[in-house]
Amino acid sequence: MEFDTGITGLVGANGAGKSTLVKLLLGLIEATEGSASVMGHDIVADRAAIRALVGYMPEHDCLLPDVSAAEFVTWLARVSGLPATAARERAAEVLRHVGLFEERYRPMGGYSTGMAQRVKLAQALVHDPRLLILDEPTNGLDPAGRDEMLALIARTGRDFGMSVVVSSHLLGELERVCDAIVVLDEGRLLRADQLGAMTGVTMTLMVEVDGDPAPIAAQLVSSGYIVSRDRANVLVQLPDGADEVSMRMACDAIRDAAVNLDVGLLRIERRRGHLEDLFRTRQ
Amino acid sequence: MTDDTTIHDLGYRRYEGVREGPRGAWGAIFAQGVRTMFGLGRSAKAKVVPVFVVVITALQVIAALFASSVSQGQLPVRYGNVVQGSIFLYVLFVAAQAPEIFSRDQQHRILPLVLTRASSRQAYVSARLAAIIASVFVLVFGCFLLLYLGEIGLATDPAKRFAEIGDHLWPVLGVSTLISLALGGLGAGVSAWSPRRAFATASIIALVLLTAAISEGLADLAGVASRSAQMLNLVTSVLTFTMLMFGETNRGMESNPPLDVWMYVAQMVGYALVGVILLQLRIRRLET
Repeated sequence: MEFDTGITGLVGANGAGKSTLVKLLLGLIEATEGSASVMGHDIVADRAAIRALVGYMPEHDCLLPDVSAAEFVTWLARVSGLPATAARERAAEVLRHVGLFEERYRPMGGYSTGMAQRVKLAQALVHDPRLLILDEPTNGLDPAGRDEMLALIARTGRDFGMSVVVSSHLLGELERVCDAIVVLDEGRLLRADQLGAMTGVTMTLMVEVDGDPAPIAAQLVSSGYIVSRDRANVLVQLPDGADEVSMRMACDAIRDAAVNLDVGLLRIERRRGHLEDLFRTRQ
Repeated sequence: MTDDTTIHDLGYRRYEGVREGPRGAWGAIFAQGVRTMFGLGRSAKAKVVPVFVVVITALQVIAALFASSVSQGQLPVRYGNVVQGSIFLYVLFVAAQAPEIFSRDQQHRILPLVLTRASSRQAYVSARLAAIIASVFVLVFGCFLLLYLGEIGLATDPAKRFAEIGDHLWPVLGVSTLISLALGGLGAGVSAWSPRRAFATASIIALVLLTAAISEGLADLAGVASRSAQMLNLVTSVLTFTMLMFGETNRGMESNPPLDVWMYVAQMVGYALVGVILLQLRIRRLET
């Protein structure tokens, strides 16, 4: 298997081997067999070279409670070999990037889970790595915290020009930020591909209307479309493939139906496949 | 001044500066270790033991100097007495603070962060061990140096006093080095084996007390072999060694002459080696 540049998601149930793979790549544990390389460096022979290029955010708590975030991140920058002044500047900068401001001078024992996760991300960024390895970065966060963390990861991958490997057992959140997905199960590789290839656009238009969707569905069926319902949405199959013409015709038909019935159209969009579908078809 | 000040997000900036590599990392782990030992950069609670130990040991030195000064040399400054008063504080310092390094790092699982940087297990352990030994050295050497300088400075004729005891500086250095090697090495070795600080502290104190008890027991049983049995007892050995180095004697030593001074040196180094061996046995198992 090969990880490309960009943001790669590492998915699998608990115990599927995500953390083990990550620790192998970092040289924290030794492989019993096989080989791997990170950015052209062998994980056994060139461990030191890899470590200068990689930032690691472990899944578990790894913060000293009675030390401030500023001091802790500065120290870890120095352990990465940065000189004292540069370490202090970099620490302040990355803590600002992850959204910690005045709080960074307080002891970390009093931090919320969200703040602790931010510090963990900051320490992985502080020595300016080329590759970030994030092990379950959204663990223990509430929905809003998850969104913020995911946005931060997406920004790190896109704006900072780093490659990111992010592991999670939640498909939904990886779908939102990743370019490619690697699926692991019980230590074996299930699938590795670009996200687009796995969840390409489907032959279905999703229509959301204001009010009862039943009349418009009936109208479209009478116009010869294959229509199904998904909760309050109407799903319309494109009959002649997903080309421009058939798209436009279907959209026109939906618009006309909506005008005839005097219902408000809220949304028409091409439905994307979800990663969950992949798992569903497998079973 | 204009009103329309805005904060510009400069975006992410790459770091292009120098990287000091493993040497810089070793220095950082060492320096942070020494700071941790003395509670610097940490909460007030973490400063209680180091401050207590530093203050009380310093007070003992000052008291000895004061007594000597007031009695105009009738009560000579005796290094052995100061060590006798302070040795359990040194032990307390190591027992309480060495786990603040090895046990705390394991308890809060910061090893994965350190070991994925410009450091290795071996470098991490050696830097931490050096930090513990250096901290004990700072404490013990500080006390001795204060005593040494005070003895010269408070004398009626400092120049004459310096001529007499000036060469005491070497035993001051030697004794502080060996005490810090023995106590620091042992404390580091034991504390690395437990991620629970309280347990590690108790283990170190128990080890010191236990060796003392065993040594006393052996001395009672063996009679003649009592001097060899004393080699186990870290506390009395430190005491005897100090007195030998400064040419001091007490009544016990007259009736029961001590061993050769090199035996004590070997013993101190031996304790340090036990600590290093304990660390080496543990090093692979340090959890990441």
